[in-house]
Amino acid sequence: MNDFLRCLLLSLAATTTATVASAQDSPPGTPVATVKVTTTRDPVDKSYRKMIKGMERFEREHAYAPAASLRFQLLPRTPDVDMNGITLRVAGDTVSARVQVEPGNTFVLPRNEQLLREDAAVLANRKTTSMTWRATIVTPGLPPGTRRLGDMRLECRVGVEAGLVSNSSPLFGWLSNALTGVDEVCNSPDGNYLFFAERPVFAVRLRAGERSEVLPFHFLYAGGGLPREELPFCDCQVLLDRTYYVPLWDKSWPDDTLVEFEYMSEYMSEHMSNAAEATP
Amino acid sequence: MSRHALAFSFALALLGGCASGDVPPGTQAPAERLLASVVPGTTTKAELLATFGPTKTVVFDSGYETWLYQSPAGAGRFTEFVILINPQGVVAKTRQGPVSTPKN
Repeated sequence: MNDFLRCLLLSLAATTTATVASAQDSPPGTPVATVKVTTTRDPVDKSYRKMIKGMERFEREHAYAPAASLRFQLLPRTPDVDMNGITLRVAGDTVSARVQVEPGNTFVLPRNEQLLREDAAVLANRKTTSMTWRATIVTPGLPPGTRRLGDMRLECRVGVEAGLVSNSSPLFGWLSNALTGVDEVCNSPDGNYLFFAERPVFAVRLRAGERSEVLPFHFLYAGGGLPREELPFCDCQVLLDRTYYVPLWDKSWPDDTLVEFEYMSEYMSEHMSNAAEATP
Repeated sequence: MSRHALAFSFALALLGGCASGDVPPGTQAPAERLLASVVPGTTTKAELLATFGPTKTVVFDSGYETWLYQSPAGAGRFTEFVILINPQGVVAKTRQGPVSTPKN
C-alpha cells in the first residue's frame, strides 16, 4: 500500500471512531438504528473458507513453485506474546477440529466440508492482534539462507487470497481488503506485501544467473519511513528489523531468482531469538 | 460545531497531513568522504552527526539503528550508503549501493 493510501485509511478509521462516539452521545429520544450482533470475530482469528480458498489458489498456481508445498505460519505482532505452546482449532457452529502446530509455529490446514458449510473460524489461543499469519512456501534444496522469488510470489498470492495479513483496526483491515485484491497486491509496485526474514536484516540481494542487485533501502523495514504511531497498524510491529519487500511484480526477475540476505549480526540474531522466546 | 462536523474536520486535518507527510530522502554526502570517515567498530553516532549531519534513520526496539546517506552519482541519481549502528552508539557495519533515484 502506498503512503497516501495508508494515510487515507488511517484518517477514515479515525473519523469513524469519532462518528461512533458521536452516535453514542445522541440525546434521548433520537431514533437509532440497531443491529443485532450474535458473534464477534477476533482479528487474530481467520476465516476457514478464505484460508481454503488460499489453498485452492496454491493448487491452481503451483507452477510458481512446482517443487514446494504449502504451510501456514504464525508470527508475533506484539512484544509480549508468548509464541510457545500455541494451539489452533477450526470452529464451526456444530463441529470443531484441532490443528497440529509444528515447531516454528507452522501448520497445514485440513479440508473439511462441514466446517466449510458452517463458515468456520480458525482460532488461536492468543489475544487479539497479538499475532499475524503468513503462507510459507519453500522449495527444498535451496542454498542455505536464501529464498526463491517464485515461492515468494506464490506466498503473496495465497496469503492475500487467504486473508492472512492481520491489521489491528477492523475498519482499516476491511478497507485494505476492499481496495487490494491478489493482483493489486502481488503484481503492482504499490502492492507492498511484507515478508519477514529469519533474523534482523541489513541488506537483501537478488541473484539470477550473472545478474545481481541489492534492493534499495526503501525495500527494507516497511519502507523505512513508518512513524512510531503508525506501527500498531502494521503487522510488522515487532518484526520491523526483519521486514522487507521484494519486487514480485518485476517479471524481468524469473521465478528461479535467488533472494539472499545479509543480516545485522550473529550476536544480535541470538539476542533477538532469546527475546522472542521470552514469556510475558 | 456538531460532533459530526468535528469528526469531518478532523479527517480533513489528517488528510492534509497525508499530502505533506512524505519521508525526506537521506542527507547527501560525497561517497569518498563516507568511505574514508565511517569505520565499523570505531566511528560513533555523535561523530556521524557532527561530520555529515542528521539523516533518514530507522530505530529498532533492539537499540540498533540504520542510517541512510546518499552520494550524488550523476544524472540525478544517488548511491545509497547505509550504516548500521549498534545499541552502544558505534557503527557496526556499512554497505554501499545500489544507485537509484531517491524515493520521497
